[in-house]
Amino acid sequence: MNLIDKYVAEVGKHLPLLKGRADVEKELKSTLEDMLEDKAEQAGRPRDEAMEIELLKEYGSPQNIASSYNPHPYLIGPRMFPFFLMVLKIVLAVVVVVMFALASIKAVAAYPLFATDFMQIIMQGFGNALSAAVAAFGNVVIVFAILERVLPDKEIGDFSNEKGWDPASLARQPDPDMVKRGELIAEVVFTVLGLAFLNGLFNLPIFTSEFSKFIPWINAVFLADIVLDIYLLFTAKWNALGRVAKVIIEAVGIAVTVMLIRTPDITLFTSESLLSFIKISGEAGNVALAAHYTTSITLIVILIIQGIELAKALYRLLKINYKTK
Amino acid sequence: MENDELVQNMLLELRRGSLSLAVLSQLGKEQYGYSLLKALSDQGMEIDQSTLYPLLRRLESQGLLQSDWRIVDEARPRRYYVISAQGKAVLTKLKREWSVMTETITKMLS
Repeated sequence: MNLIDKYVAEVGKHLPLLKGRADVEKELKSTLEDMLEDKAEQAGRPRDEAMEIELLKEYGSPQNIASSYNPHPYLIGPRMFPFFLMVLKIVLAVVVVVMFALASIKAVAAYPLFATDFMQIIMQGFGNALSAAVAAFGNVVIVFAILERVLPDKEIGDFSNEKGWDPASLARQPDPDMVKRGELIAEVVFTVLGLAFLNGLFNLPIFTSEFSKFIPWINAVFLADIVLDIYLLFTAKWNALGRVAKVIIEAVGIAVTVMLIRTPDITLFTSESLLSFIKISGEAGNVALAAHYTTSITLIVILIIQGIELAKALYRLLKINYKTK
Repeated sequence: MENDELVQNMLLELRRGSLSLAVLSQLGKEQYGYSLLKALSDQGMEIDQSTLYPLLRRLESQGLLQSDWRIVDEARPRRYYVISAQGKAVLTKLKREWSVMTETITKMLS
């Protein structure tokens, strides 16, 4: 094996995984032989190893030659980059919010606690949020790096949305029946997280067995919500069926919330546990009582939001009926 | 002096766009890579092998060139490239665009 063969093999080793690697090697060898012949002719003497070395030095390092054949020199190319940034922002925001929410719940659940424990939970929360954000970043990059290589070049238009954009849309009133995809996706993500949370995925012992009786109902409402969201993502537009489903889901949700408000001691911040805490540190009594009311206040806020959602859904449903008449 | 690098980079960008046109224009009759390189160089268009061969592959994958392996002389196999029908159509359009562009730029620069 002469130097040229070794060089060609070395380039082959560094070539990106593409069809026709043998072809590239064959062509490279043929070119190098041609060039060497030219060199020998110019020098007026037969080819030798010194000449080969000179030629290969001119040609460049095998790594560089191989990388010039790479059709995807980017991990995530310019066509995907704006879409990548958009998804990354959403994912990171969701991850950080969820991690902080979990840390807050943990801090409340570890109640009563000392200042050092509290600090520890906060620091842990920061650490977890950071590592979750880094992991999420890595996952998004992997997904887009694969898309970059799998999607054919012709798909570029789908991401830039240049053809579908109409300047007149700036002046138009937004169509109330158009679904907002971003909102739907966020809703699905948060509902799935809620389901995981309720069904004990995060191992946060803050609910009592009283609360557990409601879990099947809440699960049903959440699942129905997810199914509706996915349906809407496909139809891209609200229709009568979607509106009716939304009204029913919101109504059932309100019923469940009302029942939860009427059930005492659904979380572990019970009167007894708080009383014992007040005994340990009398001065923190107000804080403890506030924590006790947090559950009720949270449920009332949820009820108000559900009420607004139900009213909106009913209004839109009636509007559809009016239009069709 | 510090502008040298900037100028080099901009020149590289200018050349990158025109290389496809140069290559397509020279492949009316079939050539293998090294002979094409020399033909381009003879006419003042210096191009690196590490640029030319990947470019040839790309143009071929876009359907603008056709290639096949042949043993013509000295028992050395060579890959011969020639412009395809689609390549010819594209070249005609590009030529027109190129003359409009050079005319415009020349006017601007004078």
